[in-house]
Amino acid sequence: MPLDTSTYSLARLRLDGRRAHELRRLSAQLHTQAAADGSAYFEQGNTKVICTVAGPSESKRRGGANSSEQNQDATVEVEVNFAGFSGTDRRKRARGDKRTAELAHTISSAFTSTLLLHLYPHSTITLTLHILSQSGSLLATCLNASTLALIDAGIPMLAPLAAVTVATTAAYADNEEEADVLLDVNEQEEVELPFLTIAGTGEGEGVRVLVLESRVQMGRLEGMIAVGLEGVRRVRGVLDGIVREHGERVLEGKVG
Amino acid sequence: MAADTSTAPASLAFPRATFAKLTPGPFLHAHLKQSPPIRPSGRTLIECREPQITTGSLTHSHGSAVVRLGDTTVVCSAQGEILNASDTPSPPDADDGDLLETLGLLVPNVELSTGCSPAHLPGNPPSTLAQSLSWKVRTLLYGSDLVNPKDLQITFTAPKIDEEDDASVPEVKAYWTLYLDIMFISLDGNPFDAAWLAVMAALRTTRLPKASWDADTEAVVCSPALEDYSRLTLQATPVTATFAVFSTANPLKQRSEAESWVLADPDTSEEDVCREAVTVVLDGSNRVLGVEKAGGRAVGKESVRECVELTFGRWKDVNAMLP
Repeated sequence: MPLDTSTYSLARLRLDGRRAHELRRLSAQLHTQAAADGSAYFEQGNTKVICTVAGPSESKRRGGANSSEQNQDATVEVEVNFAGFSGTDRRKRARGDKRTAELAHTISSAFTSTLLLHLYPHSTITLTLHILSQSGSLLATCLNASTLALIDAGIPMLAPLAAVTVATTAAYADNEEEADVLLDVNEQEEVELPFLTIAGTGEGEGVRVLVLESRVQMGRLEGMIAVGLEGVRRVRGVLDGIVREHGERVLEGKVG
Repeated sequence: MAADTSTAPASLAFPRATFAKLTPGPFLHAHLKQSPPIRPSGRTLIECREPQITTGSLTHSHGSAVVRLGDTTVVCSAQGEILNASDTPSPPDADDGDLLETLGLLVPNVELSTGCSPAHLPGNPPSTLAQSLSWKVRTLLYGSDLVNPKDLQITFTAPKIDEEDDASVPEVKAYWTLYLDIMFISLDGNPFDAAWLAVMAALRTTRLPKASWDADTEAVVCSPALEDYSRLTLQATPVTATFAVFSTANPLKQRSEAESWVLADPDTSEEDVCREAVTVVLDGSNRVLGVEKAGGRAVGKESVRECVELTFGRWKDVNAMLP
């Protein structure tokens, strides 16, 4: 139990030395691949993801007579590849793996509602995510990396999407006072504690993505979402800083 | 630098980038015709890109390396997994020279379909280039006797029970299998050199835990203590160098009129217009591990000798750079 050590209640320190509301080290690089339309490498602690964007490009699907009736907007296709060395065991995932498909679908629907897809009718935007190292908060890292790659590709969006995970320490009912909400869980905490992934734009109280797959007390949920939105704001600030720094470097390169 | 307009005849004025896109062959030829010959990237004919090697970036692998060769970036991870001797069909002798190859204890895999270049889009099965790179790396790994089989054997010596018993011979109970996953993040020419450099750097910094056979549970147990991790003893330092040959030979012209230039460490724009390539693999200052030449007829005995000489120089530089 990562928190059931005697030191947590005394010092309130998690296994990796963080306090309850501290984020892990976030760092990123934009435009890592010159061949792709947009690319980004994002690290959240030890979780490392590379995202490449190709598009908008011509859609392979050819609408028949019904195309004018159906949705003409662009589609977002997401593909997730796990490198063999990403987890503790070297395991090659099958292509039709359900977990991977679910992850891809979540990311795809998140961006379908965020990107201005009506500007690119009948085209496809393809996001490819390569997971180099898994250490917790996988969906959140993928969403953050995808946001940066889409910004690098120059695809317009309503607002950048920032994501973070939150967990709650007390798993049983009669420990209300001790229940702490932890921000940005790593893999050991993910295994033991109920956690959720939340994504938003960082402005206001809107929630764009919320994924909760473990059981949690009803009363805790609101607290978790509140801390999650605060975390989303902070991650959005970090992403903004990264994009601005990259922009300055690009301008210096062009203008000199 | 672009060709001087003072020496070239007055013609349509193209910006440099357009010239490169429209006619890459004549673009390269215009650079090589200069005296001294120069390449579009500004390098001389024999100048290789300086590699940047970073090791130990992957947390879950026993060894890892990231190599940047110009715009080519490749990640290699070395991960050890246990193979029980009881799972092998017929355990070979411990002194068998081909032990590694018989059991397949070194497994390289090159992943190119990562979107590293427009020619390698993700989602496709491994292309011919990826498969042949995996094969070349595998051949070089086994052929160079790089890894000492003793490093990969997990032995068990049964304790003496009676006084009269002879000391028992250590028995091999399991093996370490090293999975080398090579993943290209971006590709700008010369994938083999970059991949091999990453493999060498990863193997040099691989630390395997101390594994022992537990007679009670009949399984291999590894010590979690960091002090017990040990490095591999590599028995060779193979270094590869690839050269591309640009030739103006044309079936419509006289063969004697053709000119050719040998370019060391080609990038993608040069590889696309060259039909010939030479790869030289050396180990140390006097062992040639392989010479491979594919396509074309511009390179003869003298040129191959020059390539080997250049690779000796490269061996010294790379050997100093490896961790």
